[in-house]
This record gives sequence, structure tokens and C-alpha cells, in this order.
Amino acid sequence: MVEALAVASGKGGVGKTTSTLALGMALADDHDVTVVDADTGMANLCFHTGLADADTTLQDLLLAESDAAVEDAVYDRFGLSLVPCGTSLAAFREADPTRLRAVVAELAADTDVLLLDSAAALGSQSAVLPLVLADRTVVVLQPTIPSLSDGLKVQEYARSYGTETAGVLFNRVQDDEAIDRVADQAEQYFGGPTLATVPESDAARAARRAGEPLLAHAPDSAAAAAYRRAADRLDLQDGDEGAVADRFRSAVIPEPP
Amino acid sequence: MTGPDAAGLEIPRGRLVRSRVGVASALEAAFSRELTGYARIEPDSLLADGEPGVVTFAAGVPRAAYCERGAGGGEEPGEDHDRERGDGPVEGDSRGVDALAALAGPGPCSVELYELPADALAEVHDAAEFSVPPGAPAEELADDPSLAERARERAPDDAHDGDASALESFLADEERIAAIQEEARAEAEQRAAEWGLDGELE
Repeated sequence: MVEALAVASGKGGVGKTTSTLALGMALADDHDVTVVDADTGMANLCFHTGLADADTTLQDLLLAESDAAVEDAVYDRFGLSLVPCGTSLAAFREADPTRLRAVVAELAADTDVLLLDSAAALGSQSAVLPLVLADRTVVVLQPTIPSLSDGLKVQEYARSYGTETAGVLFNRVQDDEAIDRVADQAEQYFGGPTLATVPESDAARAARRAGEPLLAHAPDSAAAAAYRRAADRLDLQDGDEGAVADRFRSAVIPEPP
Repeated sequence: MTGPDAAGLEIPRGRLVRSRVGVASALEAAFSRELTGYARIEPDSLLADGEPGVVTFAAGVPRAAYCERGAGGGEEPGEDHDRERGDGPVEGDSRGVDALAALAGPGPCSVELYELPADALAEVHDAAEFSVPPGAPAEELADDPSLAERARERAPDDAHDGDASALESFLADEERIAAIQEEARAEAEQRAAEWGLDGELE
């Protein structure tokens, strides 16, 4: 089985990469999980996982003349298969985002759960592609109006490509009492349940500084426990890996003029 | 000349200290200069369905908010936005955290900062219905958690401690959320065509 989930937020600063890795590690207890840094314009998964000096990254795979194999960009760390993205601006400019399809199709053939850490802003084809390709999205929110507005927007973008919401994750929560009311209210607008409310945590910042995912750096923190609850609530759907791979391979997208 | 009229709670116009700035830089400027006065917030875009509003400050810390637009429901397109201001309660206005929800639109705004003597704001600052949590304008209007934290630190201990939040007010406004969703859907479809992804649309 395979399900490809885009982890999206609509705005930066909500802890999307922290959340992607934490969900991935929690899901990895029962599944083979591959995490792809599909935020090619502002890659930072590498900084959360000690892979800032990785030799081969997704950027290499997206270059038209690249001879790198997909497996060269896969790193087994923290119980996950990680595909970091490089941070070279030159390589970003030269990258062909449409090659993401073939890369993800190949990865899909060999994993249970694919998590695509997606771009925060929806300003380009490459930013929106993970939403197009994924089976469903997990929307990461902070309990503020700007974040909810952008989360609703990202959900609509995804839905317009037939990608429904698997669930919502409230991150960096400071007001424990109000969040339950907010989550109840928000559920009527989002296609999936509230997976968890994750408290604001110094542990998340410390983990980032240490170059480790939260669940490796502070597995006993309240935030880590919340992510485990989120993974438990995420109702993964059985997919056919062949069908998923085919979908990723289908249709070559022309570059805009 | 008088300044904003919050349904009978008139605020004197005050001395203009900054104009034509965005919300984020206005809130930051008010905080750093320890402004006692108010920010007049005017949505730039006619498409934003916005109405002007006011956030007041004491020593740079937000204290109260008022918006001519109601947080719950909004207006129908084409409705007259230039209604008379009167001394009585204004139909469809919003106050306190509801006003922040009404002002937290997606579009850009222009802001003017005005300085006032503290006693000119005593009446509005004493009225609980206008009160806002000190960090809420930075969080909800400017998406600036760091400024929100600094405002909370500087706020007096008896600053707003109400339960309701601007976010709850925002989420209670079903029509507004439907409008955000419709606009996002239209934008997504338009951009799909620009990016050559329209074949993928459902």
C-alpha cells in the first residue's frame, strides 16, 4: 500500500518541516515512510536532519542533464527514508520541477507512506505540484487568523486538483483552553479531522538547532506526544503503488511561456 | 476636526505621526515609539470588501479596536459603504476582538498613526467591549508573533483577559470564510491555466 500525503500550510513559520518529520517518525513505527523535501524554493529539511552536506539531493534529480539516480538522494536516517533538497539558488533556477513526478513515482514504488514537505507559498508551478500529485493533504496551522486564512486557501488549491484534506494539525499552540473551541469551529471548514494540537515547544527549536527531528531529539516532550497522537488519528488509505506511480508519471506539464 | 467615531465613543483626531504604512510596520512603529494614540487602518483594495477600522494604543501596547464592518456576516456586494456616521450604535460594526477579525482581511492596508494625550482615550480604554488582548493585533493583523510577545510583556497586568478570541470571531463568520474559499478556488483555477496545470483540475 502507498499513500502520498502533501504536508502544506499556506504560510511559513508554522513548523511545517518539524511537523512533517514528526509525523513521519511516528508513522514509521508501523510503516515504511519516505519524506521528500518538495519545498524546492526554500528547502530546509536538510537542516532538521543533519543532511546539510548531503552529496546528492532532490535538486540534482531535478536537473535536466543530471545522471544521478533517485536512490543516490535517499538517506536512511531516524528510521525514515529522507530525500533532502539542496539550497543552491543556481540549481533551483535550473531545476525542471516537472521531473518531480518521475522522482516521486520511483519513490512510491518502494514505500508505504510518502510525505511531501510542500512549499509554504503557492506562487509557482513547483510550489503547487505536490498538492497536485498527492493523494491527500495534511494542513499545518497555527491558531491565528492569517494562518487559518492561508490554510483554507491551500485546501482550496488542493481540492481544485481533486486532493482532499486528510486532517489538520494545530501547531505552536499557546492557549490550551481556547484551542479546543477553535479546533471545533475549524473542523466544519476543513475536510479532515483535527489530528492533534501541538503545544509551542522549546524542544522543537532545540531539535532544529541540533539538526535532529523533534521525535529523535526530545521523544518525551509534550509536542512529541501530540505528534504521535496525530499519527494515530491519521487514517491512512490503502492505495495501489502501481496506480500512484502511474499518476505521478502521467501527463508531462509544459512550462509556462 | 474629529477622528474615528466608534459608535458614540468619539476619539479626537490627534496628531499624525506616520502615514501610508502597512499594518505590520505600523504596529512595530507604534510599539517602538511607545505611541499613545491610534492607528487608522484602511483596506487598499476595493475588492477586499473592507471597511476602515481603528486600533488604539497606550505606550505602544494595543488596547482597543473598532471596525465599521461587522465581523459576523459582512455586507452584500454593492451595498452602500458610505453610510452616514451617527452618534448611536452603528449597524453592522464590530468591536474588540470582533473588530480585529473584521480587519484581518487578506488584502493589504494603509495605516496612519495618530498621537493623542492618554486622557483622550480613557473612555474607550475603559469600555470592555472594545478591549483586545495586547498581542492580538500583531498576531492577527500582522502575523508577527515576536511583536505580539513583546506587546504582551510590556502590557500592564490588568490588560484584556477576556476568553473570546479574534480567531473564534473569524471562524464564526461563515459567509466570510465561504468568500475566502471561493476566491481561492477561482485563483487556483486561473493559476492552473497559467502554469499549464489546467488539465489536472477536477
